[in-house]
Amino acid sequence: MNRPPAITHLTGSGQISSITLDWKPVSWATVADHYAVYVLNAGSFELLGKTVYPHFVHRGLGFTGVPRTYRVVTVDAAGNRSKPSAPAAATNLTSVTVSGVPVATVGAFDGKGSELALSPNGYASYPTRFPSDVDYTFGTSTPAADWSYLLPGPADRWAESKSHRARFRFELAAVPEQDLDLALWLIDSHASLAGSAVLSVNGTEVERLTFANGATKGSLIADSTYPGSPLKPSYLEKPLPRSLFRAGQNVLELFKDNGSWIAYDALGIYARE
Amino acid sequence: MPPPPPPSRRTFLQLTGLSAASVALGVSAPASADATPGRPVPSGAFALGVGSGDPRPDGFVLWTRLAPDPLAADGHGGMRVDRVPVQYEVAEDERFRRVVRRGLALAMAELAHAVHPEVSGLRPECEYFYRFRAGNEISPVGRTKTLPVHGSRFSFATASCQAWYHGYFPAYRDIARRAPDAVFFLGDYIYEYGIVAGGNLWRQGVSVAPEHEVEIETLEQYRLRYSLFKTDPDLQAAHAVAPWLNSWDDHEVQNNYGADNSIYGVPPELFVHRRAVAYRAFYENLPIGLGSLPKGPDTQVYRRYDVGSLARLNLLDNRQYRDPVPVDDADQQSEKRTILGAQQEQWLYDGLRRSRATWNVLAGGVVLTAITDDRIEQWDGYPANRRRLLAAMRDAAGPSVMLTGDIHRHVAAELKADFADPDSPTVGVELVCSSIGSDGDGADTDRYAKDWLQHPYVKFYNARRGYVHTTLTRSELTAEFVNFPYIEADANAEPRVVASFRSPADSPRLEAL
Repeated sequence: MNRPPAITHLTGSGQISSITLDWKPVSWATVADHYAVYVLNAGSFELLGKTVYPHFVHRGLGFTGVPRTYRVVTVDAAGNRSKPSAPAAATNLTSVTVSGVPVATVGAFDGKGSELALSPNGYASYPTRFPSDVDYTFGTSTPAADWSYLLPGPADRWAESKSHRARFRFELAAVPEQDLDLALWLIDSHASLAGSAVLSVNGTEVERLTFANGATKGSLIADSTYPGSPLKPSYLEKPLPRSLFRAGQNVLELFKDNGSWIAYDALGIYARE
Repeated sequence: MPPPPPPSRRTFLQLTGLSAASVALGVSAPASADATPGRPVPSGAFALGVGSGDPRPDGFVLWTRLAPDPLAADGHGGMRVDRVPVQYEVAEDERFRRVVRRGLALAMAELAHAVHPEVSGLRPECEYFYRFRAGNEISPVGRTKTLPVHGSRFSFATASCQAWYHGYFPAYRDIARRAPDAVFFLGDYIYEYGIVAGGNLWRQGVSVAPEHEVEIETLEQYRLRYSLFKTDPDLQAAHAVAPWLNSWDDHEVQNNYGADNSIYGVPPELFVHRRAVAYRAFYENLPIGLGSLPKGPDTQVYRRYDVGSLARLNLLDNRQYRDPVPVDDADQQSEKRTILGAQQEQWLYDGLRRSRATWNVLAGGVVLTAITDDRIEQWDGYPANRRRLLAAMRDAAGPSVMLTGDIHRHVAAELKADFADPDSPTVGVELVCSSIGSDGDGADTDRYAKDWLQHPYVKFYNARRGYVHTTLTRSELTAEFVNFPYIEADANAEPRVVASFRSPADSPRLEAL
């Protein structure tokens, strides 16, 4: 048997609920059928998946960080297998929804958007249900009536091809002693035009959030958790400096002035313990 | 005196006149190679059938792929990693009493045990029969035909878009019955989507294993998808009845891809790896010449054939070199914009300019005729390239015949030198064949019909499944649009000729018959 070469430069990086692996592929002189990705589990390497790309995302890892070890085997067009690559270790990030204390949230962080307004497929009613966009007050508004399951963007003809915003209002008794954290979880987004949005707090622009491309299914399906769900969830968590906040009512705003829609799982402000 | 040392592999190949590549890639084998496999070949090794393609006046490419267990999940068709010698015979008669060529090719796991023998030295415009043998296994007999040196009549079928999971292929049954001189396949031989019962699996009475339920990505998955589609007996019959001229469209790789751009967010530096295995599987599973074997993520599938002086056939590649989806109207209207790529454009225009054939046939991919500006996947998304091509057609000595598919509809249209000017000359005709299987039963018309029939140069539209049968002579083209009342329930629907057209060679236009 002629073994194909093993890949090199395997690296792993942790995100919320996932670990991303990258490596240097074999040269075109080797016709690779695929790369087989293995993860160490209870002392032995188990096949995790196969990919044609020199890139693999290990998803569904939960929201508490756990270290893991990986290696990759090249399988060539004849079915021959390389020696395993050198291993690489990485740890998924712990979510602020686990490590923090909720200050104000809308929706449940559960991989589903079904508790939100217009879910699962009422996007066409957005212009009439939310003619002035979403303006939600924590403690007063209700998710099913006042927080649209989608935040449209200017690429969406059904939402009048213009920018849209979502405002989230919440009370603080005092300026927090430490920075807060934003958790913005999506069940899905447009597959190629997820785009970006400007994040502001109390009128101060914090940064532009870039969204991961999804599967363009979350406008019709609310659940990313059932086996075989076509949705591609993603997770954004950002620290928010304490200087942004004030005692009394605060307003966090997402201004979607780029790309197409995102589909919420939940949004929340968290304090650090 | 001691015996001379055995020749090195390179020396041996030089002595036999073969290139290492042709041996290694299943085209040929050293003359002294043992025709007996090292171990018995499993029964049913020819379960994927046989085929021929890339015809020339003196020969053609033969194809088969050993796969006794075609749906083995590893994509190797139930074959082990060994090399298997495959013998082939070409005869003038169906009972092989007048064998004119015999040869051997090595089937290897590197190419999923496909072989592509290239046969030459035959007589022009003649019918031939061929078969393969591996160990004790003997293949079905295929029929093929060489191209003419002069040519007075040439018939062909055009087919595209064969979503196996959407229905049966009565169109291929009918094509096999008619035994044309050639079959053009214009793209979407496979689809990459997961096949899901209760979802897109409309072919009644079948089920698929879990490995077919996911979108394909790896070479083993692309190989398996070809195997699944090729298990259809009517598709095998059509391959076995005539030489095929295969082009491609997007689904041989991924929906709506262009060059190294995926519309699903896969970055180009990653997407080329998927393109490489998809192109590899295309070569492995079809009767095409060694010139189309990919090198990494690149290959050349645009190519040309002359049917004597009757017709020049240009197979086009509208995917590998196309510019990305336009970002705005100015981008769409850019004079630099190309769907064929600069090199293929020049090759095509040179070929049209030099052609002295009665007919210039262009085949492959997406619709050329102007329909609506938002159909950016078609040539409507590349108006400057269309103007350049129409100018080249206008300057050519003979009229052009554009053969396309993609839309799952039958359409007949006249090609205007300037689609914006109804009084501009007609430079040729476009015959768009509906799908073989994609979109299931269909209906005679649908909500898209008005987009097409709003134009005076569009003469026919039908939304059922089928194929187009065309005959070229020195004086005229005749085309029959054939469809089927249903395809989802079974393969037994009867063909219906729903429209026929004639186009004179000296004045291209569509006259309904």
